[in-house]
Amino acid sequence: MCAALLHAGLDTLPRVAGAPAAMAGLRHAGKRFGGTIALDDASFDLRPGEVLALLGENGAGKSTCVKLLAGVYRPDSGAVLVDGVPVEHWSPLEAQRRGIAVMHQHPGLFGDLTVFENIFIGHMPRGPFGVDRGRMRAEAEALLDAVGLSCSPDDTLRQLRTSEQQLVEIARALSADAKVLIMDEPTAALSQREVERLFAVVAELKARNVAMMFVGHRMEEIYRVADRIAVLRDGRLMAIESAADLDRDRAVQLMVGRPLSAVYPPRRASVGAAVLDVAGLSHDEAFQDVSFTVRAGEILGLGGLVGSGRTEIARVLFGIDQPSAGRISIAGETVTFPDPSAALAAGIAYLSEDRLGQSLIMDFSILTNASLPVIGKATMAGLVMRRRELGLVEPHLRRLRLKFRSYDQPVKTLSGGNQQKVVLSKWLATNPRLLILDEPTQGIDVQSKSEVHAMIAELAQQGLAIILISSELPELVGMCDRMIVLREGRMTAQFSHDDVDQERIIRAATDADNVGAEAGKPDVVAHAPEADITDSLLRRVLRKREVGLACAIAVVALPVMLLNSRMISTENLIAVAMDAALLMIVAVGQMLVLLTRNIDLSVASVIGLAAYGSASFMHANPDASVLAGIAVACAIGLACGLTNGVVVTIGRVPAIVVTLGTLAVFRGINSLVAGGRQISADQVPQSWLDVTSTKIVGVPAVVLIALVTLGLIALALQRLPAGRELYAIGSNPDGASLIGIRTTALVLGAFVTAGLLAGFDGAMWASRYATIDARVAMGYELTVIASVVVGGVAIRGGAGTVLGVALGVLTLLVIQNGLTLVRVDPLWLQGVYGLVILIAVSVDTIVGRRVQHARGRR
Amino acid sequence: MKAAVIERVATWENFLAVLTLAVLAYAVAAVPNFATNFNLSQAIAGVSERALIVLPMVFLIIAREIDLSVASILALCSVVFGVLIQAGAPLGVAAVAVLAAGALAGAFNGALVTWFGLPSLVVTLGTMAMFRGIGYIILGSDSVNEFPDAFTDFGINTVGDSAIPWTIVPFLVLAPVFAIVLQWTAIGRRIYAVGGSPDAARYAGVKVDRIRLCLFVVSGVVCAIASIVFTARLANARADNAVGLELDVITIALLGGVNVFGGRGKLTGVLYALVLIATLRNVLGLRQIGGDAQGTVIGLLLILSLLLSTTAQRVYGVVAGWLRSAGSGGAGPGDPPLSTSNARERRK
Repeated sequence: MCAALLHAGLDTLPRVAGAPAAMAGLRHAGKRFGGTIALDDASFDLRPGEVLALLGENGAGKSTCVKLLAGVYRPDSGAVLVDGVPVEHWSPLEAQRRGIAVMHQHPGLFGDLTVFENIFIGHMPRGPFGVDRGRMRAEAEALLDAVGLSCSPDDTLRQLRTSEQQLVEIARALSADAKVLIMDEPTAALSQREVERLFAVVAELKARNVAMMFVGHRMEEIYRVADRIAVLRDGRLMAIESAADLDRDRAVQLMVGRPLSAVYPPRRASVGAAVLDVAGLSHDEAFQDVSFTVRAGEILGLGGLVGSGRTEIARVLFGIDQPSAGRISIAGETVTFPDPSAALAAGIAYLSEDRLGQSLIMDFSILTNASLPVIGKATMAGLVMRRRELGLVEPHLRRLRLKFRSYDQPVKTLSGGNQQKVVLSKWLATNPRLLILDEPTQGIDVQSKSEVHAMIAELAQQGLAIILISSELPELVGMCDRMIVLREGRMTAQFSHDDVDQERIIRAATDADNVGAEAGKPDVVAHAPEADITDSLLRRVLRKREVGLACAIAVVALPVMLLNSRMISTENLIAVAMDAALLMIVAVGQMLVLLTRNIDLSVASVIGLAAYGSASFMHANPDASVLAGIAVACAIGLACGLTNGVVVTIGRVPAIVVTLGTLAVFRGINSLVAGGRQISADQVPQSWLDVTSTKIVGVPAVVLIALVTLGLIALALQRLPAGRELYAIGSNPDGASLIGIRTTALVLGAFVTAGLLAGFDGAMWASRYATIDARVAMGYELTVIASVVVGGVAIRGGAGTVLGVALGVLTLLVIQNGLTLVRVDPLWLQGVYGLVILIAVSVDTIVGRRVQHARGRR
Repeated sequence: MKAAVIERVATWENFLAVLTLAVLAYAVAAVPNFATNFNLSQAIAGVSERALIVLPMVFLIIAREIDLSVASILALCSVVFGVLIQAGAPLGVAAVAVLAAGALAGAFNGALVTWFGLPSLVVTLGTMAMFRGIGYIILGSDSVNEFPDAFTDFGINTVGDSAIPWTIVPFLVLAPVFAIVLQWTAIGRRIYAVGGSPDAARYAGVKVDRIRLCLFVVSGVVCAIASIVFTARLANARADNAVGLELDVITIALLGGVNVFGGRGKLTGVLYALVLIATLRNVLGLRQIGGDAQGTVIGLLLILSLLLSTTAQRVYGVVAGWLRSAGSGGAGPGDPPLSTSNARERRK
């Protein structure tokens, strides 16, 4: 067991005798995407006990190599080798089977699942009763210990910080007990201490003869960890040499194609008046009592570990968050910014660290992106003029030497460096006096990096005040006039350009007193007791949902019982129970679909079609067994579900659109087949009508069937790996396919099951309500979705329980029953349902927000 | 070069335009009584409300929101109108009151979405039931049938001798306004931005919540206008007016090329879709095919058109790549290197 071995130490580790034969590799591998060659004739080996680092600019092909080895891509030419043999039928699943584990760059983790489920999803250990949770928990604890993450395996992943989530990704890669480990930018989100921990793990794995590949951007890290280095440029392998033989300048030269001096532009501080003055600024848990001044022409650096509060300060300065205490002044005047547009109006611009998510709209053109903040200035008589728009944007794009084909080119087609230039132009077009740059050169190639640095220096020269947030120490030291270091939200040191070096920054950024053995347990310690409190709070909240629904039911039922004792009469209870059974069967099917982040609006039409189909079958074949009638209904439901599923998965049409269409199509087919006719109770055999009303031990058969169905599905969701994978798909669809979950099959399965259950429900409906025409169950989809939503199933996927659905159904039906019994007009029921949905969802949100606040996260 | 030309020509709008013209040509040529003044005016009148409501709906879907409660707001406003008329209020007053009611309903939707941060799908699912429910509370299952002549004349007459009914005029007035706002104004750009990436828009100083709230209020007001048109046309105010209308409206928007994920779509495509669906419904009606069955055709059209679109995109992506590489002789400096989103797109 991987974790146990890590624990036990090096002595017990197995050794592979003989020469280091390659465990995995590429041989003349090539990959194209349309007209772009991503990788051309690349060959390298991953040898046991050795780390091969991949070095290269953005777009050089590193990611392609990772994905080829991970099974995500198949090579267009050449081959992927495992144990010296070219593989066939390559896929993520196959890669896992062959012992290749991957730490992906953008973690394919699932926020709605627990930590231990995240670690084992895709390869869950099984026991006699399905998934073995006890074993998973125990092993997870050992792994978490090995990577230095002190959280409970039962924590929901969403609760953890980004750096902690990255550690879970690492634990996940370790759990696979792999022969080959591929790490794609694993340190991007990690703080210094966590990086050290990772390197310690790498060293242990080396001793265990695991073959490793490391893709990274930071030269210091690469040279520390690599035995051999492979340099890629424009999809071609330029060199593979041992790290000792390849010096950094030559490596950069190979990466870029010409010698490049990584020198920062010279600083001359011709500093003007104060532009920004911050005093005693705080924001809840993120940072406290921060004070500094920035002058015109000055570059102030904010240094510190990931999570120290620097980005949070920027967000407050830009009006995205509101400070809880303190004062901000611009050019002497105290200001408050309720939103970013106010900050922009005051002359502040913020270049976010999240380029893909917050700085650019990827599908939109360069021009549209670059002009967005100032689009109001490009209008004449209210209409946007292209010439004016270009005029606002062109000078900055040209100044930054952007490489592009046309202004209407979508930004997603640009390289990372060029994208960042567009972002910078965008902010320069707002004519700011204070520019806040948050990791401006993260993930961009060396050439663009130096161009951006030159630009920043030039801007400072021209009188702009600049705040530079960076995790790259050389950048901080090289660019800034002054520097402030933060640790856990508090300022720990201030330096000026002359008296600073990287070491002093690190010491101020980390806990200088706790160096040594205990350094493995970082900032997380301070949060641990809080984590416990919020953890049990979360548990309490979870229980609250079911308890809350039970309370709601009681709240409605009790007064009604007093007003009309018929509520608790056997007759009434049986009627409600049967209604509930019918609703629960389809509701749980809808839940399966919603879990995968899809929706099925056609459920009512399927019920109607199946009801009519089975009723007319029984009408035409009165001697047939009722099971045949049920089978007909199920077959209809199956066909409908299959149609939905196929168009959604293979046709890639969004579910809401497909089921909107099939809602009309199925209902229309029903209409055509029925032709206005009706099938009444006396036209079907009595045995058919008896199906739902037959009582077994005093309980109607349909209720028992519903309970059994719900029980089976709940068990399947808990115990079968496929069940947990459904949640994973909804939680992170991209991540799910990356780790080899059979998304298509599972989503298709969810739709087919939902269709089958709706079909079965149609048969029960026909049996219960006797009179069937083409309008059966019209509008019922509202009730189904309402009960599911009230029951706590998230519309965005990944969350929901069978118990919740059952209680949601009961809540709605008790309300319906209650209103009927107190003689409220049944037409009013709709209004009440609507209100109930709104209340349920609002309560959810408010409670959820309170929990997040208590946790003190961003 | 060739790829650029194909890109310009093979748009959804053009495809839809061709399809619409084809169906129209068929209808004129092969369906008796289609091209009569009377029939055309009926066909146009029949989509008057859908045409109106699709305008704000397009804006909402582009902004990554949706409003399922439009038909219920219509019904509620219709009820309010009817009740006010019945109580003797003058037409003008009733109309203004109804517009206010629509705005209020829209504001309610908008407030829940912006202040509480609830997904609009769920909110408007709830208000879809709630607003109609309020209509039932006010009017029960009764209806108001007595309206001033001027009002019902508006609902029946056409403009002069043409086939254009008066009921479509509000749409004809509003459509160009909406189109210009969407394509040519700063607000239109911001709406696209909110749909393209709400985060990036917010960070660029776009007042995302205010825009969302405004869009819902506008939707409510337009539904109120549509309710006046509807009530005039059918001379009938009831709480169960226009059941299912929202699905029709959303279908028209999606068929018209508005992307369900937000950030993309134009009104030109939607107008073609409107004409197409109006024609189809009319032709099917003339052929004695009932309402539900008409829904089958529309539903199939929606699914097939989107299937075609996604398949065509996948095919086109490959073809364009070949053409580009053939033209420039391999990957050149201007060619897009891979970014993360690119890589995701191209993964099979």
